[in-house]
Order: sequence, then C-alpha cells, then structure tokens
Amino acid sequence: MAQVSEGEGTRDTGALPARVAVAEAARTAQDRRAPARERLGQRKPTGRLRKGENLFGWLFVSPSVAVLLLFLFIPILLALYVSFTNWSGVTNPLSSSVKTVGLANYKLLLNQPGLYQQNFGTAIRNNLYFVVFTVPLQTGLALLLAVVVNNKFLKAKGFFRTVAYFPSVTSSIAITVVFMFLFQGTGVINTLLGFVGIQGPNWLFDTRGVFTLIYNAFGVNNPAALVNHQFLGLNLWGWVAGPSLGMCVIIIMLVWTTSGTFMLFFLAALQQISEDLDEASEIDGATPWQRFRRVTLPMLRPTLVLVLLLGFISTWQVFDQVFLIGPDNPATITPAYYSYQLSFQDSNFGAGAAVAFLLFCLIVFLTVLQRKFIREDLTR
Amino acid sequence: MKRWQFKTIAGLSAAAAMLATGVPAATASKVPLTGKLHGVTLTFMIASSGTAETNADKAAAAAWGKATGNKVNVINASNFQLQLTEGFAGGSPPDVFYGQTGMFENLVKNGELLASGSLVGPPGAFYPSLRQEFTYNGTFYCVPKDSSTLALEINVADWKAAGLTNPPTTWAQLEADAKALTKNGVTGLVISPSLDRVGAFFAENGGSYMNAKGTNFAFNTPQNVAALGFLKKMAQQGVLKTSAQVDSGWGGEAFGTGKAAMTIEGNWIIGAMQSTYPKINYEVVPLPAGPSGKHGTLVFTNCWGIAANGKNTAAAVSFVKYLASPAQQLRFANAFGVMPSRPAVARQWAASHSATPVASGTQTPSVSAFVQGDAYALPQVATLGFPTVQSAFDSQLTSLASIDPAALLQQLQTNAEALLHP
Repeated sequence: MAQVSEGEGTRDTGALPARVAVAEAARTAQDRRAPARERLGQRKPTGRLRKGENLFGWLFVSPSVAVLLLFLFIPILLALYVSFTNWSGVTNPLSSSVKTVGLANYKLLLNQPGLYQQNFGTAIRNNLYFVVFTVPLQTGLALLLAVVVNNKFLKAKGFFRTVAYFPSVTSSIAITVVFMFLFQGTGVINTLLGFVGIQGPNWLFDTRGVFTLIYNAFGVNNPAALVNHQFLGLNLWGWVAGPSLGMCVIIIMLVWTTSGTFMLFFLAALQQISEDLDEASEIDGATPWQRFRRVTLPMLRPTLVLVLLLGFISTWQVFDQVFLIGPDNPATITPAYYSYQLSFQDSNFGAGAAVAFLLFCLIVFLTVLQRKFIREDLTR
Repeated sequence: MKRWQFKTIAGLSAAAAMLATGVPAATASKVPLTGKLHGVTLTFMIASSGTAETNADKAAAAAWGKATGNKVNVINASNFQLQLTEGFAGGSPPDVFYGQTGMFENLVKNGELLASGSLVGPPGAFYPSLRQEFTYNGTFYCVPKDSSTLALEINVADWKAAGLTNPPTTWAQLEADAKALTKNGVTGLVISPSLDRVGAFFAENGGSYMNAKGTNFAFNTPQNVAALGFLKKMAQQGVLKTSAQVDSGWGGEAFGTGKAAMTIEGNWIIGAMQSTYPKINYEVVPLPAGPSGKHGTLVFTNCWGIAANGKNTAAAVSFVKYLASPAQQLRFANAFGVMPSRPAVARQWAASHSATPVASGTQTPSVSAFVQGDAYALPQVATLGFPTVQSAFDSQLTSLASIDPAALLQQLQTNAEALLHP
C-alpha cells in the first residue's frame, strides 16, 4: 500500500520514473487481485442449487475429514485429556485406573521448583535461541541462494540448484551422524582448529552458552544481579547465556539442510515475477540493489511470510537431531525431546503431554505475534 | 536393601487406584491362569543386545514350542520401552517380555504384571538381591532373567608394557596403576559418565543409594561424596577420563579401540569384545576395595515378565519355566555372556570359564570376577521417574575433573526425593 501512495505522490512531480513504474506494476498486481476477491464474494449468496453443492462438497471431502478427525483431532483431544491425568502409559488412558490430577502436571513444569521446571526452562531457553538464530539465517541463505541460481547469466543452473537442494533430500539422521563425526572431540573441526593452535571444545556436549563465553572474555562472570533471579528454574544468567555450543552445531546443520528447501520456494516465486518489471526499472535507472529491494522483495512478500512461518513452526519442534546427538544431553534438550523423555523414559505421560501443550500454546502465540509483526513490517 | 518398604510408601496412591480397577496387587497371584497349555501362539518381546542374544532367544523359543506343541513369535524390539508401552496401552501386550527394572514398578502398580515369581520356580533358587529387585509389597512378581555386575577390565598388552604385575585391589593401587598406564595417548582408566559406573565406588566406600531402612534416598552421604571426590582427583591428574572425553559411546568402546588401558563394565563386554574387538587381549578382575577394605559393585538385571491380562498365561508360565531353567540359563550364559540368576548355575558357569590365567593370551577372560560381585552388589534404583533424575546427574559427569562432588550429590538427592513426595 505504501508503495502505491508513494508512487502517486511522485507522479505529479514527474520525478523518479523508476518508482512510478514500480508503483504501476504493484497497482496492476493489486487490481488483478481485487476483482478475483469480488468474484469469490459473489458466490456467497445461497440458493437451492448452492445448498446441493454444499452437501456434495461435504460428501466429497468427507474421507479426508474422517481421516483428519481420526488421526489428528481425536488424538489431540486425547492428549489434552492425558495432560490433566497421571496416565503412566501401560493401561488404556480412558480406563478408570487413570486419575485426573487437574493442573498438577502444568504446575510441576511452570510453578514448582525442581528438576521438571529446570529441565523445561532449559529446553525452552535452548529452543528459543535455536529459533532466533536458525530462522533468520535459513531464510536469508535460502533467499540468497534462490537469487543466485535464478540469475540469467549463471551457467550450469541445474547443477547449482541440485547442489543447494541436496542436503534437504538427504535423511536428517544421516546428516546428523556426519555432523556428529565432524564435531566430536577429536573430529575434523577440532583437528582443523588444532592446526591453528586452538584447542576445540567437545562441541556436542558443551553446555556453555556462546554469549556466556563472550561475557567471560570481557571479564563478566556470574553477576549477582542476574544469578539471584530465577525464571522457570533457570537464573537470569542462564537465560542470557545464548545457544550452547551443542545447540550451535544443530543450528549450523539445520540452516544448511533447510535452506535448500526454502530456496525452492523462493525460486518458484522469483520465476513468477515478470522480467519486464526488472527491465523496466533498469531502464528507469534503478541500481541492482534498488531493483532487489523495491521490486523483487515486495513481490516475494507472500513467499517470505510463508517461509518465515514454516521456519518458526518447524524450529520449535526440532526433535530428531536432538534425539540422535545426545539422549539426555542438557546442551541440546528441547521441549519436543523433553516431552518424549518424560513420556517414554519416566512413564509420566501426563507431564509429557503437558509439555507438548505448553509448546503448542507457545507456537500459536508466537505465530500470531509474528504474523502481525511481519505484515506491518513489509507494508511499510 | 529393603526396597519394598520404600516402594510401599511411593506406591500408596497407586494401590488405591488398583483397588478401583479390581486388580489389587496382593491378590494378583491368585488370579487363575488363562488359556490352554498346548496349541497356542505366544508373543515374546525381547530387547536384544545383539545377534547372539536374538538367536539364543529364538532357539529357546523354538525348542520350547517344539517340546510342548506351541508356537512362539519372537519380536526383537528396536525401541523396547516404546514398543512395550504401546502394547500395554493398546491392550495387546506381548505374552512374555523382558521385564526391565525401569518399567517394573509402573507395570505392577497398574496390575499389568502377572505375579509369577512363585509359580515359575522355588524363589529360593535365585540370588536374593535379584529376587528383591522384583518384589513389591511382599509379592515376588517375576523371576530374574539373568544378572550382570561391574568389574575391572585390564588390557594385558598395556599392563605388561607398563611393567605392572598384580591387579589393583585398593583405590590407592588403582590410582597408581592408572597413572603408570597413562601414556602415548592411552588413558589409564576410562568409564562411561554415569551413576551406573560411579555408583560402584559409592558401594566400595560403604555408601549406597538408599538409607539403611530403605525409606529414603541416601545419595548425599559423606561416603558417596568422598568416593566421587576420589574419582575427581584421578580425573584432575588425567589418568581417569569419561568415554565422552575420548569420543567413545561407552567404556567398552574406549577399551576396545585402545584408547583406554582399563575400564569398568559389566559382563556384556565379553560379547562386545568377541564380536567387535577380538584382537584385544584382556583380563577381568573384581573392582578394587575402598579405603575401609569393603568390596562393592553394581548389579543390573531383567526379569521374565508375563502380561497379567494375557489370554494364554498358563502357556506363558510354562514357557518362562523353561527359559529360567538351569539348563537354559547355562545355554544363555554361554551364548552371550549374561550371568545365570541362580547361584548354583552361576558357579557352574564360572567354573567352566575360570581356567584362564592373566597372561595366557586367550580371548575369553575369566568371568569369576563378575560372578563374585553378585554377593555384594548394589541394585539399581527402580523408583518411577528416576531415569530423568539420573540423566540430569549423569550429564554433569562428562567432565569429571571440574565437578563439585558435594553439590552434585546434594542436587541428586533433592531431585530424587522430589519423586517420593510428588
């Protein structure tokens, strides 16, 4: 919207023709969309025929609705019920031996000082930093890769696309195992570091946060102001520790593997953008950066929103890499893994389900927040 | 180890729940057995340590099936606890399964484990410590399948190269020997960073996991703090490392790949050494005694579990009788190195394996060190929820040299006590 009004403002003066062209293009795009929306709106009024259509519509989708109900909604409701019980996993969860315990499981994780709260807090901390680092990095890298392989002057495009996409189609388990070899105590990374005289840490099991190492370098260690205040079983010094070294390895791995997938998203969107736009703005004298920032990026907005959304949701659920790298490794524990650990190691399915629903609430909350934030940001 | 008293307290609430379902634990043994003795098909879920164990289980199942006219489907679970839990939750558990310590209390509390201890054989024929592990509220629920204890494994080549003679019998000797063996990239002693290894040192120092009455945990005792302090001291000298520090998954891997001259593992290491590192010549000796001269080790065991609500419990009991028979225990022991859970059979097995002197260069070491340990071994904690408490402790052992023993054990104590008063 801002683009359009800016364009209208400049049309009177006749200056900055490049922007005018862009504005025109953006407006045409919007005009094209608007009637479609209206057409859809016209379909709303119902007649006898429409009712029949409704019935058939439901009939046709009923198989998938049934599947969704059976394998998605019912299990979710059951899990929600389990999170209020003391179900231990070896009986039918609906049998009379399973007792409801009210909010006890949630209190155990949120309110009651102890190992559960501490583990949950650590898991949230780990995952928070994981998301904060992974999502921007993977989105940025994916966009960069897409723009590079979309370049019309690039030779052997197919090769580069395959190379960038290859990690995405490789099993995450296989990649994790390779990374474990790379980053183990005497692995390749530490051997390379050894050549330049650096004694590398035991990456995967190192619980020290990256920020903590930086604070330590400046002589700050365990400041009383932070150490004496707690939240979710972790003191504030623990909360500002940054991603642990173990988590950093998973961040690097995830960025590398997922950027290929998201590159495809961006590539598809880039190929939808008409070359005329780019050429028109070039003729109008826009620099390459201006063309990217003012033409290409706004056109990619829907894809960007999608990629960020998918990134946020999937990174909050990271599990298989954590499962493989270190069962019971506090350096890399995440809520998804902690839910599994509580359920299947401790037979405490109630608390396990409670972790899952707290994670669910967190994801919904952050997604709503993020959607709002991004919409405002991109329409500026 | 009066563990049942302790469990009584922990399980009061669950007992009430069981009364509601009409399956009170105490009368579970009086539930009549179901199904026929012939012509039935049993499912048998195992958590195998490897091909040798899988084959031995399959052979035993086939032999019993042939002799009694039944059929047994052996399911080798890749994720045992998950698959077993799914079986119970879905109402179709396997008829016979490995009853792991970690699941025992949960199964009993929910009335899912048949009280088959006294149906299978005279309880007195099994090691008392193992029997206790599977006794709850005075009922002997399932017969111990086998036992494994920790002992000290020594690489003979490294030992000779360091000019050492007699195996260590005291902590001081262990420390001195580890020092002598640490050179050329080899660490004297490497252990897995776990309570399941350092706990042996607690026992050697007169410590334990539980208090004398078995009513509460006793992790933060001076004996345990001193034992962990001793390990820290060795770690600070660089003569003791954890397996993670030498890029190994467990002590046996560090030992087999030559990164460690000594390790502390159970009798499962015999099978691993034979199959993966057959060239390493090693000897097994009892763990050294603590400063007070006390011997100590840890014991790990499973039982033969039978699903209480199965349709063929009669046949299942008959099958377990066969599996736990002296002849079959000896066959299992020979096949993959687990120790028989009957003292008589264990002695017989040890006698047939003890003729190997330290430096003879054979690849099968004496197993008598493992068998000896059964007499004084400390059993595992079976309290529901303990695995997570233990992993919180274990994860801090990775770098032994920089731990604070007293604080660490106090934390373990606090976390474990929280399980008793939820």
